[in-house]
Formats: sequence, structure tokens, C-alpha cells
Amino acid sequence: MTDLTPITALGGTVARTEVFGALTTTENADLGLASLSLRAGQEVPQPFGLMLPGVGKAVSMGDYAAFWTGRGQWMIEAAGKAEVDFAAMLKSEVPECSVTEQTDGFTAFEIASTQGARPIEALMAKLVNIDPKAFGPGQATRTGLEHMTVFLIRRAEDRLAVIGMRTLAGSLWHALAVAARRLED
Amino acid sequence: MLIPHPLLGLRDSQEFTYLGDANLMHRPDATAENAEAQFCDYVFQRENPAGVHRELWFHEQGDRSWLVVTRDTTTHEILGAELASNVKLGAAE
Repeated sequence: MTDLTPITALGGTVARTEVFGALTTTENADLGLASLSLRAGQEVPQPFGLMLPGVGKAVSMGDYAAFWTGRGQWMIEAAGKAEVDFAAMLKSEVPECSVTEQTDGFTAFEIASTQGARPIEALMAKLVNIDPKAFGPGQATRTGLEHMTVFLIRRAEDRLAVIGMRTLAGSLWHALAVAARRLED
Repeated sequence: MLIPHPLLGLRDSQEFTYLGDANLMHRPDATAENAEAQFCDYVFQRENPAGVHRELWFHEQGDRSWLVVTRDTTTHEILGAELASNVKLGAAE
């Protein structure tokens, strides 16, 4: 029988993690993702009990989280659900809405700081044209990062998630790593 | 250049792609008597004003919304931006 070896978006057999001074960047290979869109005239549902957030916001509850991606449209995150059919789980929660599998399209990198908000904000200032001071905990947005399009989620003062296209995982990691390394100097 | 997105606030214009004249939203009726002439104008004829112009911009690296941006073509000053869906539907939100 064929013996296949599962690999992460960065090509490793285990998720990559690297420390750059105060910042630690970790590949979050276990994150399940699915998008949820309302159809015309639908009320906003509450999948897994999540109160779906308004423009530019993110919410989380237990293993589940959601962030706004467009009008009537959200990305739903589920910790530890990368290897199950999370889209089907979401669809059974909200059968009337449009649900699309996204786990295979994206890769998530989690950046954590040991020195509070300052290193996270310094990294953002280097990489994206979004005001870090106005991008506090609970904010989420999509923007460009070195010609790649990424979702940014400020999970906490000292934590930032960067979700980018899976095919660009290596380039995105490189961009984050180079910027974080320069902050060490 | 910054574009004042009606939902997201000031955003870098590099996040957007440009389509053209906002009149492109007004597609002629294909069943009309003179549809061919109307479509000929729709596809090929454009106003080319030196001054205030209304244009369609797509927030590609953002929330993927279409905006109607009012811009002065002589100074590149952005005078305003609205959601194209609201303009089209005449809805206020």
C-alpha cells in the first residue's frame, strides 16, 4: 500500500516555529477554515454559538473563531480541525447559508510577542500599510503584504495571526522572518 | 494615495484595482429596439473629462467590494467613495 507522508504548508512533517528576539512565529497547521456567506435577505446566524462580528472585527469562543471578510461574509476558524471536514461541520450548523472549504487554500502563521504590544506593532509597521495603533485586539482585516494578499487578525495585544495563500506559504514566511529578524538589531 | 473606503476607512490605493468610468454600471437593455447602437456606445464611447470623474475601483486586497470613487483627474484628489452596490440599488446603508 502507498505510504503517504502528510506535510504542512511549508513542506515540513511538523509545523515550523522560529524565535526572533521577542517574537515567535509559528505555523498553525491545525487550523480548520471555512467561509460563510449570507444569501439575499438572510439573517446573521450564530454558528457554534459565535456572534458573527461586524466590519473589520474578529471574535473567538473556545476552539472557534470568526472574522469579517466582506459584507455578509465571514471566515470561520476552528482550532485542531485542519484534518477533518470542517466545512461540512459548519454547513450542518448553518444549512441555509453558503459555506466553502478554505483550509486547503490558506496557511496561518501565529506571531506571539514576549514583550507586549510594541514588537507586534513594530513588525506591522514594517510590513503592512495599516495603522498598528488602530489595529487593537479584536480587529481583523485583509490587506497586501509584499504583493501577497493576507488576512491579519489581532488576537490579543501581544498576538497577531497572518493568514495567507497556501501556495505562497514559503514567501510569506520569508517576508515575516526577514522583517522580524531586522527588528532584533 | 489613500482611498476613503466607506466601511474600512482610509486604505492604500495599492490595495485596489481600477476598472473605469462608473457609467459602466448602467448596462443597456439588450431587448431594446436600438440595443446594438446602445451597446456600441456602452462599449466604445467614454467621456474623458479633465476634472471631476466618477470611477469604479475594486478593493481586491481587501473586502472585495466595488467602489464608486469620485476623483479629480487634473489634481488626483479623491473627493469621495461610495459602495457601488449602494449606488446601483439606490440604497442607503
